[in-house]
Amino acid sequence: MRAMHRAAAIILLATAAVGAHAAGTVRVVTKDPAGLPVADAVAYVYSLDAPAAVHPPAEPVEIAQRDQEFEPYVTPIVVGTRVVFPNKDNVQHHVYSVSPAKKFEIPLYIGDSTATIVFDHPGPVTLGCNIHDWMVAYVFVLDTPFFAKTGAGGTADISNLPPGRYRLEVWHPRLAGKVGRELTVLEAGDTTQVVSVTLRPDRRVRRAPETGGVDYK
Amino acid sequence: MRARGSFLSISAILAVASPCARADGPYVSVSESVTWQDNMTNAPAGDGIRSAFGVESGATMTWLHSVDFSTMLTSGVAIDASACPSYGGLDSLSVGPAVELRHKLGLGALAPVLYAGLSGCATGYLDPERSNLEGDLVFGLSKRLREDVQVVLDGRLGSYDAKDIVFSGNFASLGTTLNWDVNDTWRIKLTAGWRSGDTVANYAAVQSSYGWVSPDPITMYLPGAWHYVGTFHEPYVAWRESARTWSYGAGISPALGRHTSVAFQFVHFESDSYGRYTDNVASVSLVHHF
Repeated sequence: MRAMHRAAAIILLATAAVGAHAAGTVRVVTKDPAGLPVADAVAYVYSLDAPAAVHPPAEPVEIAQRDQEFEPYVTPIVVGTRVVFPNKDNVQHHVYSVSPAKKFEIPLYIGDSTATIVFDHPGPVTLGCNIHDWMVAYVFVLDTPFFAKTGAGGTADISNLPPGRYRLEVWHPRLAGKVGRELTVLEAGDTTQVVSVTLRPDRRVRRAPETGGVDYK
Repeated sequence: MRARGSFLSISAILAVASPCARADGPYVSVSESVTWQDNMTNAPAGDGIRSAFGVESGATMTWLHSVDFSTMLTSGVAIDASACPSYGGLDSLSVGPAVELRHKLGLGALAPVLYAGLSGCATGYLDPERSNLEGDLVFGLSKRLREDVQVVLDGRLGSYDAKDIVFSGNFASLGTTLNWDVNDTWRIKLTAGWRSGDTVANYAAVQSSYGWVSPDPITMYLPGAWHYVGTFHEPYVAWRESARTWSYGAGISPALGRHTSVAFQFVHFESDSYGRYTDNVASVSLVHHF
């Protein structure tokens, strides 16, 4: 959902490392300055003890176009993941990205495109439709298997974390700068941390139709 | 007249042909507007300025056809009904086709778009001598400076043949629009335009030994065609003049969801011909895309 705040927003990250024997869960809660949850933030951790291998899923991830919008708005994936872009509309779309992490385009198609895009470099990728300029979505490509996206409630759980030291980072399409800090997942016990970040103003192409001008003769 | 007829015919054929080709659509939109015009007679001060409200309802049906990855052919038909409660002779109904070729120079929302097209319409007025056929060539450039700021440069060459020659003419116009989307709801719009060509100026008339003439002596020297009109419930003479018009406007346009928007707009016109006259137009309009 599109946030309406033009002013900088603050996400408060309350992380609770819940010790659970061999695997723990880090809960990330995102909030804006008014205390409202912030959806579509990607929280992820890197192990500082031993890098964890990433394994892309066997099945491709799906980012659909429906009612001339992308669904979902933010998709976190690991490096090497294949993504398909089915068009559920009855109009053609032209999906593209010019982001450094992945440049591609799938020109003008309707229905299920045969194109499968492999995202092979980490980083944020901005998706657009060259026909409908208001359509925008993001793929965040990670080289760690430990990540989660905040839902409407602003909460994300990064689970299956072996005990150890980690670096927690958060990404959001409007994030003004990197946010990160170290944390430790214990075999037992909870940890709570608060991190504040700044969001840029939300600038997008307006979808609402243009009204006509004033004619003169 | 023959050229304009061909113009309209080509547009109509393309507009009808597009739905038969592989095209997206139809996209249907409807619009409604209320307009206040403070000098709808285009009269210089003291020569019969009349103000009036107008109400206009319109609908368009559009198809999009992909020519290649970056080029889109848009075709469609538009119908408009216009009513002027004070002066019923200006009530009109128009229908016409339009085709437009749009080419995007690159990928993304910030890539500039070039466009050119033809549009035509047949308009019938309750004052039958005003009824006309019009054909326009439109061209322009649209460029987003960033996602929320867009500049549009628009050109138009038009020609219209009315039943009476007074209401016929040609014109060329250039316009620019700056749209700034303050947020997802509110858009601020600034416009400027220039137009050169034929206009119709209506002067209050008195009867003389020469027939109905304007009481303003300057009009005795106007070279254009003129005609007595009863549109304004008083004696008026309508002159076809060649005028240069500058316009400046501003407006705000709140979006009512993804498919609907409203616009409040004000445009000031200054025309320079044999006489100088100004016109201020305030409008409230609503458009909905299905």
